[in-house]
This record gives sequence, C-alpha cells and structure tokens, in this order.
Amino acid sequence: MQEFKVLPDLPAPVKTVGPVAWLKNNLFSSWLNGLATIVVVAILAKLLPGLLDWLFFSANWTGTSQDACTKEGACWVFINSWSKQFFYGSYPDGQLWRINLVLAMLVGIITLSIFISKEYRNKIVVPLFLLLPFIGLIILDGSLIGLQVVSTDLWGGFTLNVLLAAASIIVAFPLGALWALGRRSEMPLARSISIILIEFFRGVPVLALFFMGSVMLPLFFPEGTTVDKLVRVWIVLVLFMSGYMAEVFRGGFQAIPKGQYEAADAIGLGYWQKNALIIFPQVIKVSMPNILATFVMLFKNTTFLLIIGIFEMLSTAQTALTNSNWLGGHSTEAYLFVGLVFWVCCYSMSLIATSIERKLNTDHRN
Amino acid sequence: MKTTDASQNDVIKINDLNKWYGDFHVLKDINLNVKEGERIVVCGPSGSGKSTLIRCVNRLEEFQKGSLIVNGVEMIEDIKNIEAIRREVGMVFQHFNLFPHLTILENLTLGPIWVQKQSKADAEAVAMKYLERVKIPEQAHKFPGQLSGGQQQRVAIARSLCMNPKIMLFDEPTSALDPEMISEVLDVMVELAEEGMTMICVTHEMGFAKKVADRVIFMDAGQIVEQNNPTEFFGNPQNERTQLFLSQILAH
Repeated sequence: MQEFKVLPDLPAPVKTVGPVAWLKNNLFSSWLNGLATIVVVAILAKLLPGLLDWLFFSANWTGTSQDACTKEGACWVFINSWSKQFFYGSYPDGQLWRINLVLAMLVGIITLSIFISKEYRNKIVVPLFLLLPFIGLIILDGSLIGLQVVSTDLWGGFTLNVLLAAASIIVAFPLGALWALGRRSEMPLARSISIILIEFFRGVPVLALFFMGSVMLPLFFPEGTTVDKLVRVWIVLVLFMSGYMAEVFRGGFQAIPKGQYEAADAIGLGYWQKNALIIFPQVIKVSMPNILATFVMLFKNTTFLLIIGIFEMLSTAQTALTNSNWLGGHSTEAYLFVGLVFWVCCYSMSLIATSIERKLNTDHRN
Repeated sequence: MKTTDASQNDVIKINDLNKWYGDFHVLKDINLNVKEGERIVVCGPSGSGKSTLIRCVNRLEEFQKGSLIVNGVEMIEDIKNIEAIRREVGMVFQHFNLFPHLTILENLTLGPIWVQKQSKADAEAVAMKYLERVKIPEQAHKFPGQLSGGQQQRVAIARSLCMNPKIMLFDEPTSALDPEMISEVLDVMVELAEEGMTMICVTHEMGFAKKVADRVIFMDAGQIVEQNNPTEFFGNPQNERTQLFLSQILAH
C-alpha cells in the first residue's frame, strides 16, 4: 500500500519580508502612493522645525510669573504655575491626598480587574466598583468621617473630570443594562418605561440636560431639601450615560444567537440567571468597542460643565487665562495642554479596552 | 414483563396537540405517549414539525390546543414552575449551543451549581465523570471554540446529563457535523440508549434508528403519518408517504 507523507514547511521567500520589502509595500507600492509619501515628508519637513522650536527649543520652562517668559516660544511657566488648579481645582492644599487616594483606588480597582482571576473578578471587583463612587464622595466631602469638610464649590480641575466621569460610568453601566433588558422585556409597562427613559436621555442634548439638572431637578426634590449641585450633575450624567449604554447593550443583545437563550432555558436557568450568567457576559464582549466609544464621549462631555459654572479643567483654564497677572495671551498653551491631557487619558482608555477585549475573546483562541 | 398499567409509566403524554405559528398550522392533532425508558426516533422531511414537537416538550415552544403532560406535570398556558420541568428534561441542539465565554467544565457545572444548588466541588466531580463518559476529559479547561464539532456536541450531551435528567431530547444532533464526526456522537447516544435513558431523537440517521429505537415515528405536514417498531417501519412501511420518504433517503 502507498504511504501518505506530509511535506515539510518551507520558509517564506525573502522578497516578502524585511525592511526593504516593508518600505516598498507600504510607502512606494504604486506611483500614487510614492508621490503621497514624498508630499507628506515635504510638508513635515517644512512645518516640524518651527513647531518643535516653539514647543521645546525656544520655550520658557522656568520661572513663577509671566515676566519670566522672555523667549519667543511657548510660555510653559503659565501651565506650571497653574498646574495645581488645573488638576485639583481649589481643593485645600493640605487635603490633596484625599483626591489622590480616591484616584489611586480607582486605578487600583481597574488594575485588579485586569489581573485578577476570572473566578474572583465578579465577586470582588464588581462590588468594589459599585461602592467606589460613594466611598469617594465620603472621602472627598469629609463630613461623615471627621475630616475637614470641603465644600463641593472647591472641587475642580482635571481630577473632577476623571472622578465625575468614572462615578457616572460605574452607576450608568448596571442602570443601562437594566433599561436595555426592560426594552426587550415582554411586560408592556417595563418596556414602555424603558423606551421613554432611553429615548428622552438620548434625544435631549447634554447641555440642555445640564441646565435642567441645575435648574429644574431641584423642583422634583421634596421641599426644604437641598441637593448639592455636583450631585445633581452626577445624576444627570448617570441618566444621560444610561440612555446611551442601554442602546449599546441593545445592539449587543441582538447579536447573541437565539440558541444561547434556548440552551440556558433548557438547563432550567431562570430569567435573571440566564441574563446574568449567559447573555450579559457575551453582550459585554460584543459591545466592547461601542462601550469604550461611549465612555470616551462621556468623559469629554464633562468639559461642558463649564457652562453651568463647575470648575472642571477647561473652565479652570479659562479662569486662569483671564487672571490679571496672566493676561499675556497664553491661550494656545492652555488649550494645547488641556487637549493633550484629555488625549492621553482617552488613548489609555482605548488601550485598556483593547486588553479587555483580548481577555474576553475566547472564540477562536488556539 | 412489566405488569403495571402502561399509562402509569408514561413520562410524556401528548393528547391532540395543535400549534400555530401565526396562521400557519404547524402541528395537527398530535397524539403520542412515551413510556419510561423508551427510545423514540422521529423522522420526516424538513418543515414537517418534528423539531417543533420536541421543543414543545420542554416548552421552548408554546402550543395553542390540546394537552401535554411531562413527568406528571401538565404544561398549561401560565405555567408557574417551568424551570422545574426543564431540569428533568435535557436537550441537545443541532448547533450545540455551548456557552462560548465559559470553559467546557464551566459549561457543564453551570446548571448543577445555579439551578440545583450543588457545591462547586460536587458539580465538578460529576462533570468530570460525564466528560470521561463522552471520552473528552482532557478538554475540560478549554473553550468551546477550540473543540471540533463532534467534540462540542459530545460536551453538549454531557452538559445535559449533568442535570441528571429523566428524559433526553435530541434535535438533529448530527445534522451540523462533518461526516467523519457523526459516528463519535452517535456512539455516545447509543451508549446512553443502552443504559435505559428515555430518549426522543429527531434525526435522519436511519442506522441509529434501526439499532436503538423502540419506535420510529414518521411525520409530515405537522402530522404523525406512521409509527412502528424499526423492523416493521423500515421493512414494511404501510403508508405511501412513508414509502416515498424512505426510498428517497435510503436510495443512495
């Protein structure tokens, strides 16, 4: 009988790998591509030297007032002098560790969620996440635990953007999931309530929602109670975000094959077990890119809070620009800096999300 | 010889069952009793309602007329404890429907832990026992996407068995498999049948039907056309529709 022999694997031809091949394939694959490469390089060569000079070589780095900005380049002294306000607002100097502590807790939990084993992730990380906004609020406010009370008027800067966005996302995540389930529900009442909530908070511009939150929302609270402006803003952000998350999840729910529901039913899982154990983990997986996009949108939307007089980073920058000691026209530096800080954060979020996506992807892992 | 009254042993009693999808009358006057330990093979052309029929048994489908009693519990419109019945009835699907985000072992222990409230250690011990029975214990910590179709379907069978069901339903378990993997799944099903499990299998594997079935049922257009033991069914079909169907599937 004839024997079946497997042929050995041969290495790929040399012309298809290596740096020269890479250049040829990516930059000069056709005459049009080659032309585009040359044009782009020419433009960069023209612009970069001036830009780098302004940014770094002729920039003013040291000093304490704008009188120190004698050179032609950027006046980074401005950013330097205002950095505390940019990051922490008017929070008292001696109490800044409280903000840092809350931030460290946030980063700690996120790190934990990436490295902890799957078994404990749901039991430990999820409750920690849900508790964090409230623990953070208690620490920053201080009145409940005997620390110096810091009024929310003094909270501000970039840490406020971060913490407010994080606190909103954390609460909006489960709330959005509930609304999405409600929208798919067979109970007419639950379904109509969910649809009304989702469509309202998605359909109204976020600026209008902020105004409603600061002006109208107090009318709904019982007479005599005052709810802090920042808490009202938090509620508005949560509801706004929930509307978007609900729609993101709805798309995810629709991507789950009917067979998954049937298999869960056939095992005898109840409604909540089925959704929590089988459906929702898969929904999160398929929705991950959209979840991230929604996070980034909300995070950037926190800068709109300057409209209603909350001193987040952008409004701090504007205040600094109108300060009588700094009227030298530093707006380019200020906005560039704000933009850079936001970009670094959003890009980090996208890196984290990519790593989570890889972790969740069990479909075709070999 | 069994001396008890036959109807006492019926674990499934289907009486004048009718079902419509909108205006489409998909099941018409179905009468079928299944005894404990009985192995039934349901065959018929596609669209004949055979899958719909077995999906009514664990209420993945609702019906509009007639009665259906499973394990002594009547399936009524607003049935309260549907999960309790589903626990007693295992189901294996054409497309396996394993949970892709869970490992094989987690797929198997999910039901016992969350539905039957077993401890994790107990559930895993039982799961490993069944994985050995379907001959893939070494795959326990992989994910479904890493297994071949035949292996996935064997996992799906093991997943149902972990719930210790009284009845097993098979909905075309080999139709989505590559030809070389069909026999490994059928072998597991034959073993299960020989151990005395009550089974209803929708399948076109006539070899399997001849080997293990107590009764073969032929359905067409939502009705039971003919039912008989395999020898009579294949050797001496009574209805001309059955003869035509058998000649078509056995021709090559």
